[in-house]
Amino acid sequence: MTNPLVLKSPGTHAQPRGNRVGAVLAGLGAALAVLVWPLVWSNDFTLTLGILIAINLIGAVSLHLIVRTGHVSLGHAAFMGLGAYATALSLTRWHLVFPFDLLAGAAVPALVALLIGPLLLRLAGKYFVLVTFMVGEVIRLTFIQWSSLTGGANGLFGVIVPVPGLDSLLHFYYFALAFCVLCVGIVVRILTSELGRAIDSIREAQRVSECSGVPAIRMKVVMFSIAGALVGVAGGLQVYLLKYVDPSAFTIVQSLNFLIMNVIGGMDHLAGAVIGTVFMVVLPQALEQYVNVQQILFGLILVAVMIGMPGGLMDAVKRLRSLSRGRSGEER
Amino acid sequence: MFSATLLGQVLVNGLSLSAIYVLVALGFTLLFGIMRVVNFSHGAFAMLGGYALFLLYGKWHLPYLLAVPLAALGVAALAMVLEYLVFRWFYQKMMQSMIGLLGLNMALVYSAVLLWDVYERSIPPAITTLISVGGVLLPADRLTVVAIAIVALGAFWLFMTRTRFGLAMRAASQDVETAEAQGMDTAALYRMAFFIAIFLTALAGGLYAQTYSLSPFMGDRPLIVAFVVVILGGMGSIPGAALGGVLLGFSESFVSTFYGSAVSSFASFGIVILLLIFRPWGLLGTKEAMRA
Amino acid sequence: MRRFSRMAGAVALGIALFGAASVVRAQEVLKIGAIGSLSGGGTAWGLATQRGAQMAIDEVNAAGGLKVGDKTYKPTLVMVDDQYTATGGRTAAQRLMTLEKAKFILGPVGAPVVLATISVTNPGRTIVLSDGYSDAVLKNAAHAAYNFRIMDSETEFARAMIQWLHRTQPQLKSVALISPNDATGQSVVPVLKRLYEENGFKVYTEMFDRGMQEFTPLLTRMMEQKPDLFDLNANSPGDAGLLVKQARQVGFKGVIWKVGGPAMPEIQSIAGDLAEGVMAYDQFDFSTPAGQKFAAEYHKRWSGTINAETPIWYNATKLLLEAIRRAGTTTDVDKVRDAVAHLDGYDAGVFGPLVWGGMADYGVDHQLELPFVISQIKGGKIVTLVKIQPEKR
Repeated sequence: MTNPLVLKSPGTHAQPRGNRVGAVLAGLGAALAVLVWPLVWSNDFTLTLGILIAINLIGAVSLHLIVRTGHVSLGHAAFMGLGAYATALSLTRWHLVFPFDLLAGAAVPALVALLIGPLLLRLAGKYFVLVTFMVGEVIRLTFIQWSSLTGGANGLFGVIVPVPGLDSLLHFYYFALAFCVLCVGIVVRILTSELGRAIDSIREAQRVSECSGVPAIRMKVVMFSIAGALVGVAGGLQVYLLKYVDPSAFTIVQSLNFLIMNVIGGMDHLAGAVIGTVFMVVLPQALEQYVNVQQILFGLILVAVMIGMPGGLMDAVKRLRSLSRGRSGEER
Repeated sequence: MFSATLLGQVLVNGLSLSAIYVLVALGFTLLFGIMRVVNFSHGAFAMLGGYALFLLYGKWHLPYLLAVPLAALGVAALAMVLEYLVFRWFYQKMMQSMIGLLGLNMALVYSAVLLWDVYERSIPPAITTLISVGGVLLPADRLTVVAIAIVALGAFWLFMTRTRFGLAMRAASQDVETAEAQGMDTAALYRMAFFIAIFLTALAGGLYAQTYSLSPFMGDRPLIVAFVVVILGGMGSIPGAALGGVLLGFSESFVSTFYGSAVSSFASFGIVILLLIFRPWGLLGTKEAMRA
Repeated sequence: MRRFSRMAGAVALGIALFGAASVVRAQEVLKIGAIGSLSGGGTAWGLATQRGAQMAIDEVNAAGGLKVGDKTYKPTLVMVDDQYTATGGRTAAQRLMTLEKAKFILGPVGAPVVLATISVTNPGRTIVLSDGYSDAVLKNAAHAAYNFRIMDSETEFARAMIQWLHRTQPQLKSVALISPNDATGQSVVPVLKRLYEENGFKVYTEMFDRGMQEFTPLLTRMMEQKPDLFDLNANSPGDAGLLVKQARQVGFKGVIWKVGGPAMPEIQSIAGDLAEGVMAYDQFDFSTPAGQKFAAEYHKRWSGTINAETPIWYNATKLLLEAIRRAGTTTDVDKVRDAVAHLDGYDAGVFGPLVWGGMADYGVDHQLELPFVISQIKGGKIVTLVKIQPEKR
């Protein structure tokens, strides 16, 4: 059975039973660890890191949805910004209560994606990359210029979080985790559904699938909009955490970060986005000791990973696994 | 408001901008056209070209017309090490090249911070005279940059169209597999293309640094300019890069002078987006199959 | 496997011994946290924070350490990068408070970064000595309980400067402001506009996207308005230099000055001869005896232009350490905070006796009123025109 979460099918024979049980146990173990660790070892700093991982993971997996359609968006952070501003404005100006503020945060970028998607998604890969970069820049400029609405380059401050109890970072962690699980769940569900299969066929051979009656552009737009909605929610959650919106958090730098999270982890597998996110949030902190050279180290690590493991870290994991499985004649 | 002097000044400003933009974009489009590499470290090489010119002209006081090409040659030669270590793993792999070269960019820029500190330096101008023509001021140093840009562009054009090597590179950019099948040594070809691309970039960087200022972060803007110019002109098209540079330079000059900077930014981005949607292969690029 | 466990044991033993040895050290370490930009747009200021603080700390350690009560401490700088973003500032502050357990933080610079930092340090009862041009740094819901601003903001120096100019050059009637479209630019321009208009100037403003260095179209546009005065205000030193050079190249003949962060060395270096006559706010006069001593000390370790904020951070670190000494404790933050607030008159050797002010503008006296100078480039040299002490309000 081919695993729909994996882009490139590993082969056509079934996975041995032992591996299946192992995978499930590993999954349960990981889930347990993620739920329990803050109760055992928590301080503000690690909790904030955990929350940032949860929020960024939503961004990374939503970008993965777009990547699955065969396109790479360099404007993803701008959509996160749209969600952040929508949520912040809901709370400060439009007087919407939870959960409508977060729904606004999801709706605004989704609408924008719905509007511009049909125009952009017609384009081939390399052009789509460029046009999303430009769109991201235009949105960024709008954030800075439209001061009366967005507060300009200084952003919006003094947002009051509508959900009680979130002052405690511990509670916030579980709050963010819940949303993260929800969003990742949505992505998994889409990828394993009819829509996901159709998208896979579109990516592999668009003309052929169109001949089979698959409305390619429409499906791509749907994925693009859902991705926008999800990253918009991430933006809203970030507003909850920081209680302000700073436009400099939604530039090409952040868009590239989301891309790096996907590519470093491994673009072919959804789990790659998870590994990549943890990597991107934790590594700079780990390198913090070498304050003056951390950027150099980080850059060198990116280069090394891209050269050595073009399939990302997941590639390395798979290779290790097949190495340990030994030469038992199993096809990779 | 639209006086002759003003328009004259706008034109002169535009020419100066265009010259720099074209030079900056050439190296970028070459790397993409032939090796399908999105060089996110483009700005870093421009920056290195800046520091090289600073060393040769600002510190060692070599004659200007010797220092400019020598600085670029030096950077290109040193860059061959990076070609061997980093770039050649990314040829024909667009995605990996983006992330990997982004990493290279960070490593180069922050090494520069470590080596040369962040403060902005300047390279002394070659000439400081201000020529006045009917009320329009033409700074002589800007004119020198325009002259060098024209020479460089001309030389490059001759190389690509009149020499065997240029022909080989153009063939490879159209279809690398066929070129290989015809017996071309693509690895050597790539190395040559890389050398020329970095040479042009470092040359542009030196002139950019001299016109403006030099710092480790100097390359950020040339990178964005290169992107926009190359999109306008068509990825991989050299006349496209020239046309794109000229268009961007003049329109920026015109719109900024009359409507301010924000309008100019929105306008150029907006036009580029529209162009990408309706004519993505740019003004002079080759129209390929849309579903690439 | 056996070899591995033996090696691991040896390593563990080595670590234990090393740990034991370090405990035996005579002086206890006093962690002084610092947040600054070591990457991104604010790197020049981040390095100024790091170097200024390190100079002060090294000075204290060379004299034998900091004597607090009956113990002697070894102040140690722990610097964290904030990447010049609000999120970065917040994470850096939390890292210092939680992991490093630092109770005293120098920096950051940049209003969004500072505001994000104090949103966690004020509730977390950690002292912060920062910059940040926004009024909200001091005028906020927490009444700046544990944070101080240790450098003049536009509100402090602009008023004094504009009044001085109006008095000494009354023929100037209109001013043009070209500013970057970033957080500082957008905060500073309305303040300056108001202050200029109060003094009878007509004000013309223009904003540009930070990163652009070709200003000739904007300058051409500005000249159509025929302003008498061109104020470089909040532009970065490099941009300021370029603006001067390009303004003169486009034919601007009026007065150019800078009511904003220090930039004179860069203006001189980039604009060369064209910088003649430019006046600017300067935070520190390097030509005074105290200034020369500072420069000599700096150049023992680093070369090149000294960012003028370096002595300010040196000053801030010295005053922090003195406050800790006077409070007699490194753990009672409230006591140290009160010691800081009552440090009026203390002289760290660079800016003269310290003055806290700001009650009228912010409701709390946590603004350091630093004396500053207006300097001018005359005959290729940077000359001090006048020294100004901002009024304590």
